[in-house]
Amino acid sequence: MSDIADVALGAAGLTRARRLPVERLLPLGALVGSLAVGLVLVRATGVPLRDALAAFWEGVGGSEFAMVGSLNRGVPLALVGLGYILAERANLTNVGGEGQICMGGIFSAAASLSWGAGKLPGPLAFLFPLLAGTAAGALWGALAGLLKARRGSNEVITTLLLTFIALQMVYGSVQSVHLLRQPMTDSATLPESLEIPSVTQLPVLTKDSGLPLHVGLVIELLVAGVVAVGLARSAIGLELRAVGLNETASRRAGLPVERLVIGALAASGALGGLAGAVMVQGDQHYLTAGFSSGFGFDGLVVGLLARGSAVGVVAFALLFGCLRSGGMSMEMSASVPSAIVVVCQGVMVVAMATAAAYSRRRPA
Amino acid sequence: MDAALESPAPPATVLAIDGISKQFGGRPALEEVTLDVKAGEVHCLLGENGAGKSTLCNIVFGVHRPDAGHLRLGGQRFLPVGPAHALASGVAMVHQHFSLVGNMTALENMLLGRARGRSLALADMAKRVRHLSEEYGLEVNLERPVEDLSVGERQRVEVLRCLLDGPQLLVLDEPTAVLPPREVGALLEICRRLAARGCGLVLVTHKLAEIAEIAHRTTVLRRGRVVETVTMAGAGTDLRALVRAMVGREVKPLEIARATPQIAAVEARASADQKEDEALRLDGLVVKDGAGATRLDLSLTVRRGEIVGVAGVEGNGQSQLGAVLAGLLAPSAGKVLVGGADVTGKPPRELSRLGVGIVPEDRHAVGCHLPLSVAENLLLGDLSAYTRFGLLRRDRMAATAMARMEANDIRAAGPDAPMSSLSGGNQQKVVLARELALDPLVFLLAAQPTRGLDVGAVEAVYTEIRKACDRGAGVLLVSSELDELLAVADRVLVIYRGRIVGELPAHPQHKDAVGTLMSGQVAAVAA
Repeated sequence: MSDIADVALGAAGLTRARRLPVERLLPLGALVGSLAVGLVLVRATGVPLRDALAAFWEGVGGSEFAMVGSLNRGVPLALVGLGYILAERANLTNVGGEGQICMGGIFSAAASLSWGAGKLPGPLAFLFPLLAGTAAGALWGALAGLLKARRGSNEVITTLLLTFIALQMVYGSVQSVHLLRQPMTDSATLPESLEIPSVTQLPVLTKDSGLPLHVGLVIELLVAGVVAVGLARSAIGLELRAVGLNETASRRAGLPVERLVIGALAASGALGGLAGAVMVQGDQHYLTAGFSSGFGFDGLVVGLLARGSAVGVVAFALLFGCLRSGGMSMEMSASVPSAIVVVCQGVMVVAMATAAAYSRRRPA
Repeated sequence: MDAALESPAPPATVLAIDGISKQFGGRPALEEVTLDVKAGEVHCLLGENGAGKSTLCNIVFGVHRPDAGHLRLGGQRFLPVGPAHALASGVAMVHQHFSLVGNMTALENMLLGRARGRSLALADMAKRVRHLSEEYGLEVNLERPVEDLSVGERQRVEVLRCLLDGPQLLVLDEPTAVLPPREVGALLEICRRLAARGCGLVLVTHKLAEIAEIAHRTTVLRRGRVVETVTMAGAGTDLRALVRAMVGREVKPLEIARATPQIAAVEARASADQKEDEALRLDGLVVKDGAGATRLDLSLTVRRGEIVGVAGVEGNGQSQLGAVLAGLLAPSAGKVLVGGADVTGKPPRELSRLGVGIVPEDRHAVGCHLPLSVAENLLLGDLSAYTRFGLLRRDRMAATAMARMEANDIRAAGPDAPMSSLSGGNQQKVVLARELALDPLVFLLAAQPTRGLDVGAVEAVYTEIRKACDRGAGVLLVSSELDELLAVADRVLVIYRGRIVGELPAHPQHKDAVGTLMSGQVAAVAA
């Protein structure tokens, strides 16, 4: 229990030693409270709480298979969340994770299917598409950064609008056989890509047991480590912080403000693109319209709740991965609408933000 | 209120501060401070930066709560829970840093917080404000966005806003620090009129001349404690004794400190091969604002080892001049040459590399990052020298920062102390230390370098600026403090509406001439 409390506290930017007990418990209370709201809503559907919870648990960790599913689902959420806190350090808000996932997915699929990644030797076969997806996401983020640095366009608007473009680009790319659509054999051929070659799929960590836990988790933890160390101890981390605090003073101090702004959004987008590539190469294995299914927006919420902490991102990504898995299972076996999970997440954001604001208002 | 003034009864105590103590993070900011303010009295608070003056004001205005002690307002126990409460109780405050919304007009700013539950009565408010501004001689353009107003005008907006409530106590936290000489007189006149109407005034200031002019009583604070409360005897008051009480030691006047470095500067100039080495040359520099109006149009030269003063009423192009030199604003026309090389439109990083040091006029918005540490502020532009594999070498940063803190007499808890925990004078010394560390240092712009600093810090800042001069850098000193300019600079240029309207050798006897030029009366001086 105390571990969860620590994570929640760290996530809210609080440290254990300095705060009054009331304030220490606030974020935890917010977390528990929002889950309670979920329970009330489940109860309101008329399904016995027991059945619903059993179904939820079945989806989260009831079997090894379910547990692996929850872990895998947490990976793209964490990557997008890490990208979010990276840009947040420079006081930039990247809400375009969904679009960056789309771009990452398209280019990962294209590299796997059309650009001969399958013929590359060894791990290059899956690394090349991952890189292609990452680069595409970086480009999508950098576009917003460029508009911000050159024209002063608000990045919240540009990243969001670029998301709509990217979503339609996924749709478009699987509509035409000249792009990524599978060959039309009859009129019922679905508008989606072929399955990507198995060598370009992410290697599975647990080979013998038949559980599909892929290397995405390793990538997630590696990236989290790099982001955590980078933000806390690197020169760029400090420069981003300085730019986020005061752009004019940073420019005067000789920092390349424009480059840092573009770079921060590009790096943030790169992680979104990587998330998209991991989704395509990890568990979906083909590109289909709407494959991103809101992971980018959930990832944004994960980043928001983590309040700048990479550890917080990993923890909240796991929580949200579980919520997604559990919600889907609840809908399938207990006919409880999985939208309740979304409501729950929304309440969590509001409650945690309130708790954080309340703690801040008190003098240190 | 007017009736109270005419009655001969002894003036009532408006505010009684009794044994107030306050700590911040374990460090005492105020310890058992006791003083009182009478109706119709101007009570000055004098003290070095960090002596606790602002904290005391903020307690009276309800921003901070005292840890011990209590306040009485008009005889009643008074514990303001916030500025709104203080305002409602008849306590108004003009802050050191203005609290106005930049892109709203002066009038809209005054309406803020006063329109609750009612429609925006702009016309009524305009009438009330105009009436007040005529009554007190506070001239303000009400229709323009506050960000377009000069600092002096902004302050008048602040004062007017306070007067709207008809306060019984008005607290002014260093109101004259940002004002040109002419407006200081006007502000003091307003204070006098308010006092004459029975309002109690608390005036925080560093400037002894003002205290001598207006204070009825002066309380000196040092390190959070009251040193003494002096009843002023007009011109006969011993101001030096006040300074001694404030600083805790004897302070040399600027004129005396000047003698030695000046000789050094002359020698530095002579050793530069007599070739009249130019540190800075501005050639037909023009800056236009968004509306196309010319804000700056001048040419000037600063030689190495020379301190050139730029005198002027604030808002006459000094900000634009500073921004162009800092590389934050591109000129509409003209050239900037540093050490003979054209640097027009170069970014700040490049300028620093070429030896252009800048002490910006707005310390908090441009000069430094308040939440970052002293070490981070000192080394932010040069982090690549303190990294290994991209990671910061905090130990090296701390060592360098410590050395610079010692060399420049920066007093802070340590290199990791956040900039915000330093007093204004020490913050300014950090900014100076960063710019003086440039190698080479060809030219230094010091814009309003002593704004809001106490006597001791002013002395330290000019010592540092002279160091730059002795190293052979040319210094452009922009200030609205005439006395300081005349004491420190070699020659003084007067700027008016963006143009240089006169040049005079710096000598105290030219004070009147410079003052007249500053107000735009060129013909009067020429004649």
